[in-house]
Amino acid sequence: MKLRRKLFSTKDPYDLSKDELFIGACKENWSYLVSHCEDYKKISDGLGVKSVDDIKSPENLPIIPTMFLKQHDMRSGAYIASATSSGTSGNFSTIRFDLGGLWADLKMALNMSTYHKILSPRPCRYIVMGYKMHRGNKTAIAKTAFLTTLLAPAISRKYILKFKDGEYKPDFDGVMEAVQKYAKGKIPVRFMGFPAYTFFLLQMLDEKGINVTLPKHSKILLGGGWKQFYKEAVDKQTFYKLAKKVLGIDEENITEYYGAVEHQILYTHCKNHNFHVPVFSKIVIRDPDTLEPTGKDQIGLMNLITPLLTATPVLSIMTDDLGVLHDGSKCGCGIEAPYFEIIGRVAPSEIKTCAAGAADILNGAGK
Amino acid sequence: MILYAGKTYDSSEQNRLLDELKDRIPETLAKEPLAPDVVIDAIDKLRQDTLAGKFDELLINLPQDAVESYKAQAAVLLSKDMLRLKLKTELQDTSDYETDGAEGFSRIKVKTMPLGVILHIAAGNMDFLPAYSLAEGLLTGNINILKLPSADDGLSLKLIMQLIEYEPELTDYIYVFDTPSSDVYGMQKMASLSNGISVWGSDIAIDAVRKMAPTGVKLIEWGQKLGFCYVSHLEKQSNADEELVALAEHIANTKQLLCSSCQVIYINSESEEEKKLFAQRFAPLLEEAVGKNKTDEIGVRARDTLVSYTARLKGMLGEEEVSSDVIKKRGCSVIISDNSKLELSPMMCNVLVKNLPEDKLTKVLIESKNYLQTAGLICPDEERGRLTDALLRSGLIRVTKGGNMSAYFPGESHDGDYALRRYIRHVNIEL
Repeated sequence: MKLRRKLFSTKDPYDLSKDELFIGACKENWSYLVSHCEDYKKISDGLGVKSVDDIKSPENLPIIPTMFLKQHDMRSGAYIASATSSGTSGNFSTIRFDLGGLWADLKMALNMSTYHKILSPRPCRYIVMGYKMHRGNKTAIAKTAFLTTLLAPAISRKYILKFKDGEYKPDFDGVMEAVQKYAKGKIPVRFMGFPAYTFFLLQMLDEKGINVTLPKHSKILLGGGWKQFYKEAVDKQTFYKLAKKVLGIDEENITEYYGAVEHQILYTHCKNHNFHVPVFSKIVIRDPDTLEPTGKDQIGLMNLITPLLTATPVLSIMTDDLGVLHDGSKCGCGIEAPYFEIIGRVAPSEIKTCAAGAADILNGAGK
Repeated sequence: MILYAGKTYDSSEQNRLLDELKDRIPETLAKEPLAPDVVIDAIDKLRQDTLAGKFDELLINLPQDAVESYKAQAAVLLSKDMLRLKLKTELQDTSDYETDGAEGFSRIKVKTMPLGVILHIAAGNMDFLPAYSLAEGLLTGNINILKLPSADDGLSLKLIMQLIEYEPELTDYIYVFDTPSSDVYGMQKMASLSNGISVWGSDIAIDAVRKMAPTGVKLIEWGQKLGFCYVSHLEKQSNADEELVALAEHIANTKQLLCSSCQVIYINSESEEEKKLFAQRFAPLLEEAVGKNKTDEIGVRARDTLVSYTARLKGMLGEEEVSSDVIKKRGCSVIISDNSKLELSPMMCNVLVKNLPEDKLTKVLIESKNYLQTAGLICPDEERGRLTDALLRSGLIRVTKGGNMSAYFPGESHDGDYALRRYIRHVNIEL
């Protein structure tokens, strides 16, 4: 995986001259996958991608929907770690990491965090608006939330979702108490986790008339998407204003991440709060009816492509997110790479069907 | 959340409440049975408030076009007149009567009574099903324990609480638990309190209930089904195109997700050529119906595309049977299959076309005898009687027009039974 190593060592994450290296690394990854995963080869063949020559551009790569991965486990070669998607609806997919992929991932995360000035030697207190890791919880978001608390030395970590009596429950009161206590100190506070919980917390503080000014260098880092609260997603400005009002945190200290367990690229907001696509990946927006690429400024399904992993065939995946891609120059932050917006999610994938249940049984009975 | 005697409790109180319920049930049973009019009044008030938009906020998670169609249905089906008609159709005359007796035997009085306590285990595959099942239990005067499906988002509970608010008399007849199916202890406890268990769902769900139900409890099972359309001698029908358009619209509307949806179109012929010609004729009609029915909700369209693309990939791995002979159109496809098995299509407007000559109908359908429900029938008038009989003898429950496969017909039975009739008992008193 020479080309992968080269690609993920790129210092400037938004260097526009890496297209050739990127497609090369994709071909390298594809060649590995078809020789190590029979199912992937069958799908590639079925979709008409039979040799590297069929891959003229990243959009030619066989697309694997995360919906498929949740129903059908695929692996390719050796792995040293695994993670599962947090599965809002019960099904989950297992993604395996090879050693080289994990190194590349780490290098990429460091490059991105350095570029976006999130790495800091200054110790801080963390309030994690997400899960606390425990043995029964292998979801990537719990790990990511924990790992992110390593981006600056942690003095303490407080988690909003606590595992109690067999389930996770949010402890808003505990967190509100902590916020008021930390405001009196000098150590910066970093909020990390689900935007929906963070927004609820801001609203609750506001309703109770609690307005504090957290110590300088405090930050809000948002990741993990809006989850099942998608319908309540607020517009960014409302969020920033409320954060300023109740916590005294300025807009420039609020950063959002985007990523998926099946696509471990740490997309990070630029100073204008947009997600630019780094050299490590490509995003193709696809028509919701035909899956054909739609081009810029049109809403469609997000096809995420990265040659990061070999142990799972997630070279080109399709998430349940709907998004739109814009020309980088439209952002105005100085980064020229295109940026995307998440517009929403596809309708719940648990399709309400009774016919399918009957068929499962018929097939089983016939065996 | 638990709803118990009109009050809500945290799920953690389940076992304590179930113990208490054991003492409460005999007290309620000892009273005068619940009158159907009380239930009818409550449901009608719910209907009026629904139409007035009182619950719009609760329905926000459902697609807008579905909400409108639900409201239109509620307007008619939940009215007092329709509910009374339902009672009359399903239970017929429920007033007491005395038998004529026979030489050497005593005469008796026959009365209709509720079964007692019904446990409803509702599937999450249809909106409002849990509340609907419970309402049927109430209409027949039973005490109802409802186990909510895990996917329930709180809508059922809120609607049911409304019923109690309208008619507080219902308080003693409604107990709702959000017990997960994996809580075998809790489920057994509920089952042990019941005279009947009404279970909706997959065979796996029904099987699990059979295993845990106490011997002697009455099992009322509503399982999953597969629908198909039977097409015969189109060339003899002047309105063939109209019928096919209606079938295409049915497929586009239900997206083949319902028990009654059309999965397979059978051609009454053995000819490969005829089957192909049919597929070629039907594909553009289906495409047009899908186009017309295309929802503006991009999330739904994208989801549907992902589902059929995922099915296609699974087909490549041999997990789902695929035919290489597929007529692909925008948003749909017609799959020409070379066997005659009744099976699930990839759904989402991807319909299977197969040969099934009339003389092999019963032989083929008997293979799926427990999964038969609705057959659409498109045929010349002079064949309709004969083919309807052949289908019914093969085990079908509903024979409809091609376009009406998923239509609701007031007065219809459900999988061959009138539900209410299974929730009552006929008692005899010697005179």
